[in-house]
Amino acid sequence: MFEFDQNIAQQLSEVSLNSSVQVRVGNSNAFSVTASTIIPLMQMFEMGGVYISASRGAVEIIQAFEAIGVDVSHIQFVDLVSSGILGGTDVPYNNIHFVDSPIMLESILLRTLYILQASGSPRNFVFMDSVNALAIYNEDRMLAEYLHTFINTFRQREILSVIINVPDQTPPLVLSNLDLYCTDLIDRGNVVIM
Amino acid sequence: MQSPSTYQRDRCVTGIHGLDEILRGGIPYGSTVLAAGTCGSGKTTLGMEFLVRGALAGEACAHFTATEPSVKLLENIRQYQFFDMNMVDSGLINVFDMDVLYSWLGLDKASFDLDDVHALIKAIVDIVNTIGVTRLVIDSVTTLCYKIKSEQLIRDFLFTLGKKLATLGCTTILISEITSATENAHWSSFGVEEAIADGIIVMGDNERMGHLLRFLQVVKMRGTYHSRAKHAIELTPVGVMLTPMLKWGAQVDTTSRWGQ
Repeated sequence: MFEFDQNIAQQLSEVSLNSSVQVRVGNSNAFSVTASTIIPLMQMFEMGGVYISASRGAVEIIQAFEAIGVDVSHIQFVDLVSSGILGGTDVPYNNIHFVDSPIMLESILLRTLYILQASGSPRNFVFMDSVNALAIYNEDRMLAEYLHTFINTFRQREILSVIINVPDQTPPLVLSNLDLYCTDLIDRGNVVIM
Repeated sequence: MQSPSTYQRDRCVTGIHGLDEILRGGIPYGSTVLAAGTCGSGKTTLGMEFLVRGALAGEACAHFTATEPSVKLLENIRQYQFFDMNMVDSGLINVFDMDVLYSWLGLDKASFDLDDVHALIKAIVDIVNTIGVTRLVIDSVTTLCYKIKSEQLIRDFLFTLGKKLATLGCTTILISEITSATENAHWSSFGVEEAIADGIIVMGDNERMGHLLRFLQVVKMRGTYHSRAKHAIELTPVGVMLTPMLKWGAQVDTTSRWGQ
């Protein structure tokens, strides 16, 4: 039985549309925190949105939601992983958009803006999963610059941005910039200090 | 009368997402703009969207195609949501095959002389004048100029054409094919187009770790302040979209940068 973290919904009820929320997760709780964030956004706050998947292919994420009985067919996925896998873009869902690679950072932003422009939802979120996955491919300073642009682009358009990261797998420069740019923090990072 | 500091030329609002912002409102009316780009950089799409946005505002538009037959051009452009075939059927967008135009004019030879060039200019200007075209795209001026062997004649052709179209209040995009869009490259095939144009928009690809990221940069635009930064572009079903390119990602990829 899947257990929701009710406190996340409570925290989300206090943020505004032009907020940017940093969500820190650990290796073991990434999906449960993700689901506990996405579900209230969709169901309680009736928002549309875009899920940017850099850590896993979108199909895997959709099926993980389906396994806990959650329908995510009305949110759109920007998949940065599957184009790198031969045959990965042959998928049975029509709410998945592909970007060739996680290094095409500007393309990710533009594709997301296009999807939001095409969607009819008046209230939207953008969910970035995850900064540490982007950090595998992108230089620290470029990623820090990108997050700065990303957050400000959506804040200006009154679109809630939610940014997932595993803090102990995120470069210090990027992490400190996230702390600086994000307006809110949901910390489920489970960092163990040795 | 406005003081010089507040005077602004009337603009041809391109309607292209982000481009009018870069140009602080649009292309100054009557300008001849060179859109120079490498293959696959989005020049034709940019040109077509420029016309479609004009047609949506009720302007008469014309497209002279020298690189591909008009049927093929229209088939390729139909995938975009901004395009509606009714615009062609209703005469708001007029597409002309240069080969057909050459035949009308009896210009079936391999290279054009001064008289041929003048006949070509007259034909284009007559069409613009008759239809009342306010937006024109020639795709591509490179292919067209291959038939004009002398550099001086190319210069005369482009200068005269640009001047006559400006007099008619027509804003023109001349598409130019280039093989490289790096810092040291020419922005035109013949080296004369860039000197004559009122504006130059360069389009190309930035290679980033083996992936090509399209970019657009407004190098020159007379009559307006404008951004000269590189912008990443994406060809989406709703048209061209732009965003400033990341400063740390704008350099051309080299082995030394990423390989260390």
